[in-house]
Amino acid sequence: MKVPILKQGNILIATIQSALTDQDLISLKDNLSHQVIQHRSHGVVIDITELDVMDSFSTRTLRNIASILKLRGADTVIVGMQPDVAFAMVQLGLTLPNVKTARDLEEGLTLLK
Amino acid sequence: MKSFQVSVSIISDADIVTARQQARELAKTFGFSSSELAVIAAAISELARNIVSYAKKGTIFVKLIQEQGKKGVLIVAEDQGPGIPDLHLAMQDGYSTMNSLGLGLPGVKRLMDTFEIQSTVGQGTAVTAKKWVM
Amino acid sequence: MEKDTESEPTSSYAYNLMKEMKLDEEEILHRKAWLEFEEPDVNRLLELNDMAQGYATEVIESLYDHFLKFDDTKKFFEDPQVLNRVKNLQKKYFLRLTNGNYDDQYIQERIKIGSVHASIGLDVKWYLGAYGFYLRAVGKRIFKAFKSNPEKALESYFSLEKLVYMDIGLAIDTYIYQREATIKIQQEAIRELSTPVLQLREELLILPIIGAIDSQRARQLTEQLLHAIRDKRAKVVVIDITGVPTVDSRVANHLVQTVDASRLMGATLIITGLSAEVAQTLVTIGVDLAKINTVGDLQGGIEEAERILGYHVTKSLEDDSK
Ligand SMILES: Nc1ncnc2c1ncn2[C@@H]1O[C@H](COP(=O)(O)OP(=O)(O)OP(=O)(O)O)[C@@H](O)[C@H]1O
Ligand SMILES: [Mg+2]
Repeated sequence: MKVPILKQGNILIATIQSALTDQDLISLKDNLSHQVIQHRSHGVVIDITELDVMDSFSTRTLRNIASILKLRGADTVIVGMQPDVAFAMVQLGLTLPNVKTARDLEEGLTLLK
Repeated sequence: MKSFQVSVSIISDADIVTARQQARELAKTFGFSSSELAVIAAAISELARNIVSYAKKGTIFVKLIQEQGKKGVLIVAEDQGPGIPDLHLAMQDGYSTMNSLGLGLPGVKRLMDTFEIQSTVGQGTAVTAKKWVM
Repeated sequence: MEKDTESEPTSSYAYNLMKEMKLDEEEILHRKAWLEFEEPDVNRLLELNDMAQGYATEVIESLYDHFLKFDDTKKFFEDPQVLNRVKNLQKKYFLRLTNGNYDDQYIQERIKIGSVHASIGLDVKWYLGAYGFYLRAVGKRIFKAFKSNPEKALESYFSLEKLVYMDIGLAIDTYIYQREATIKIQQEAIRELSTPVLQLREELLILPIIGAIDSQRARQLTEQLLHAIRDKRAKVVVIDITGVPTVDSRVANHLVQTVDASRLMGATLIITGLSAEVAQTLVTIGVDLAKINTVGDLQGGIEEAERILGYHVTKSLEDDSK
């Protein structure tokens, strides 16, 4: 698994650690969908501190993840987006409406409590 | 010997990652700020993904350029795919034939300082864009 | 060969300056061609060298006497030690004119002189006047020495003049180049200063924007702010645009981008000082004002920020106790 997923109580934490291919992102989506059901998690934090670029595909996939998990009863929080990544993203015209964001893992976890 | 250009052939989604990483490394040597590097990487990502999605294969070419005392980077994305029948439509925010966000091409235009696209149905597509060091 | 070891080694600074100013071989040849500075000129100058050795000290002394007569130039030589050192350098410089080898190395030496003068703030007019003084002093001596052959005297003098004009061209270009570089650095500094990101308290940043914003400045502002949000771990940022005279649609777009990008990083942005006109501009470009957190003035913005940060309880307690 390219993106490790950790279970902490009823929350799942996915930490992106290296550049992801489209395929890696799709597996992340599938894995989270499964594990949320399996562990009856009510929240998921995706830590993207290490991610150095976001494009339309990764944005769309993160949005999809959030809405799929919502249907399965879990809230998603994206944490740790780097300033340069955020700026390039909005210049492209991309945002993450209806997805919660937080500065870091700690804040993300608090938000889900 | 320092190189001033890279060329990455794009066949699978893994090549998208390679293309943007190599472009980033190259542009870094020319004094782009970290935020400009992220912009260049995002633009390459969009163009390379369009190649994978619509043309199956093609090339991303990145070159350091200097014009009238300005330093910058030139990006060329080329393929011999199906081409785009209506460029005007394709350049509009939200237009997508794949039910995606339709922000790739217009987004790249916003990210870069110059942007040109040429496309002939049945022959292929070429996007040429430049970004100057601020 | 000997001359190379004798002449003062030029710094890599002068070498870099030469490269930056694009004074490559082609450009140097080009300049020489324009001045009609050719091989016979080099030979004539070399012929003058012996003579120059003879009168160098005398010419330099008279030049410095001249300098000391004017307050503006005198102030550079208050210290007798400095004066002595400069005189020695000046002599070397003077003799270098008739040393041949007007190559790369020569160009670098000349650029260095221009650069030193520019950095101590010696105006071009003093430099030019001094060169004029030189030419007159040397001219007189050349014509005296070649009294029997005035034609040769004139030719030699012209050769010297060509080289001097090349020197002057290089020095002035260096002045201009350095001045432009200084201006650029100052502009950068002003830009940084004019957009201070202030930390009001833990997790709260204030960015008062003053003056006109073009798209470049807007981009830098956003970049700076987003980095400050990460580096200072800010949760809320108040941007006050009361001091911005006009906000066109491009700047308005940047504002919106900044709001969106901050949110992506998990921070909240509050905009204060938004005039009715600016609000109109935002609506015109299709911005949903409901999505932007705007508060009338900076004070209100700070209060709103503190409320978001959960400081309101403590604050009202303080107020009660007063
Ligand atoms: N290289 C290409 N070859 C053929 N068609 C292309 C090419 N690039 C883009 N297109 C066409 O132009 C449309 C718009 O492209 P654009 O990148 O803007 O959006 P998208 O790829 O559909 O969505 P997004 O990039 O936001 O995920 C595409 O849907 C596709 O029909
Ligand atoms: Mg696309």
